[in-house]
Amino acid sequence: MAATTTVNKVQEVREVTRLERIGAHSHVRGLGLNDDLEPRQVSQGMVGQAPARRAAGVILEMIKEGKIAGRGVLIAGQPGTGKTAIAMGMSQAMSRDAPFQAMAGSEIFSLEMSKTEALTQAFRKSIGVRIKEETEMIEGEVVEVSVERPATGTGAKIGKLTLKTTDMETIFDLGQKMIEQITKEKIQAGDIITIDKATGKISKLGRSFTRARDYDATDAQTRFVQCPEGELQKRKEVVHTVTLHEIDVINSRTQGFLALFSGDTGEIKSEVREQINSKVSEWREEGKAEIIPGVLFIDEVHMLDIECFSFLNRLLESDMAPVVVMATNRGITKIRGTNYSSPHGIPIDLLDRLLIIATKPYSEKETKQILQIRCEEEDVEMEEQALAVLTRIGMETSLRYAIQLITAASLVCRKRKGVEVSVEDIKKVYSLFIDESRSTTFLHEYQEEFMFSELAAAGDATSMET
Amino acid sequence: MARSVDFVLNYLQELEELAEDVLTDKQTIVDLNKRYNANRMALTAINKKVTAPPGSADKAWVNFGGMFIKVSKESTKAMLAEDQKELENNIKDLRTKLPAKVNKLRDAEGKEELKGFNLAPIDAADMKKLKI
Repeated sequence: MAATTTVNKVQEVREVTRLERIGAHSHVRGLGLNDDLEPRQVSQGMVGQAPARRAAGVILEMIKEGKIAGRGVLIAGQPGTGKTAIAMGMSQAMSRDAPFQAMAGSEIFSLEMSKTEALTQAFRKSIGVRIKEETEMIEGEVVEVSVERPATGTGAKIGKLTLKTTDMETIFDLGQKMIEQITKEKIQAGDIITIDKATGKISKLGRSFTRARDYDATDAQTRFVQCPEGELQKRKEVVHTVTLHEIDVINSRTQGFLALFSGDTGEIKSEVREQINSKVSEWREEGKAEIIPGVLFIDEVHMLDIECFSFLNRLLESDMAPVVVMATNRGITKIRGTNYSSPHGIPIDLLDRLLIIATKPYSEKETKQILQIRCEEEDVEMEEQALAVLTRIGMETSLRYAIQLITAASLVCRKRKGVEVSVEDIKKVYSLFIDESRSTTFLHEYQEEFMFSELAAAGDATSMET
Repeated sequence: MARSVDFVLNYLQELEELAEDVLTDKQTIVDLNKRYNANRMALTAINKKVTAPPGSADKAWVNFGGMFIKVSKESTKAMLAEDQKELENNIKDLRTKLPAKVNKLRDAEGKEELKGFNLAPIDAADMKKLKI
């Protein structure tokens, strides 16, 4: 039984690259475009929004060709029209090693960091640097290792190490230092080892597969490795892609490398950044590094205030800037921190630099398709009629509310030991959880019975002004 | 959609030639490395003076194409050292040319170029600072 389950598990393993929980947009796998960037009606978890998706696809293509670094895109539309879904689709469709950094506008406001610092860090997290590391090494399987002590007891030890690959075999004479390392690392026949030529450091990669049956009682942690192929003296080239922010953190001396994991980076001095910038551009000129401008996605961008916006203006003009994608659901509203109104709550001068993609509310058919996709994603089976009812609810209240009802209804269904979610289940949860408009009408009706209601009536006017 | 047989054959031939080129280079590197290691073992053996048979104190038996010739140790060492240098240079040469060939092959196969292939390596000191 145990064996069969493990076999099943192995088959189920998918390549997990980014966060893969059932989140609100986990069904999005890409933008759903064909090779000519024409949007398919339903594809890769995306439904409808054809013009917006096509526009996003065109922008993505420009990003891939490195054409629009340092420019901005604004996705604007009513709530629940798929702005974040499009951004997620873009991130999924980006090339694998280009960084995609997503943040919410309100993340900028923190006590530990100034707003500009948070913005700068977000910018630098979305710029990748590709570098190549090259090491000369000897790699092979140990055939025999012998260390002889001289008969007198004292004096230098003599050692011999026989290494092989699938193509060749050779004997090395070992010096004093090497013998010490071999005894320390407990290297024995059947190990696969590498010796770094520059430092002489020996590292054990694992045991050879051909020696797998040497002992019956092998540790479960023993790693078995295939005997290396080809030549013994190898040149290993490793290409790393790091973000500028990672280099910043590693080089800001007070914190060091560990800060990357603890997340507590604090503020990074601007001198450090300048030094790194000059080092990276030096590498770039020498052909040692490539800059990969990624994408910075700022959701709820209207939450930024006027200072952030002017800082954004400046950052976008720097020579190492990523593509900034912003999303907002605001119409003409006040720019945060001022008394001026502006479209989308973004100053006109910044708006002028942005390409604007508009999303439109979903039609009934599209709503149904989205609900169907979500049902599949959440492993919920639903009757055709129930889906029709849910679509109705989604049209009349909001898509998000309808999506939330899916899981709730499936739980109700499971409680009554049903297999498919029925209309009754939907009705039940619809009565259990009220949506936003029903909640509002309810409050309007019974306002006097709630606490502080008399204050709210008077306070309405004051709260509007702040 | 249909393509002429000639076109497909030509394409496949071209592809095979490119692949063969890469494989030959790889095998050559292995062969050169084999000789390099054999030479290295010979050099250590000469330096250790243990394998010398009696009566040939400062001479070594060297195998030239199936024939053993007694040569003085000094000149053997010099010959081997020169050979080693030559081999090292050859291997280095092949290695630097290999990436371009692989990229050409990938291009012919319609795959995208390998990323970071054409970069120059970063020196070890800088790499240490990055601690990646």
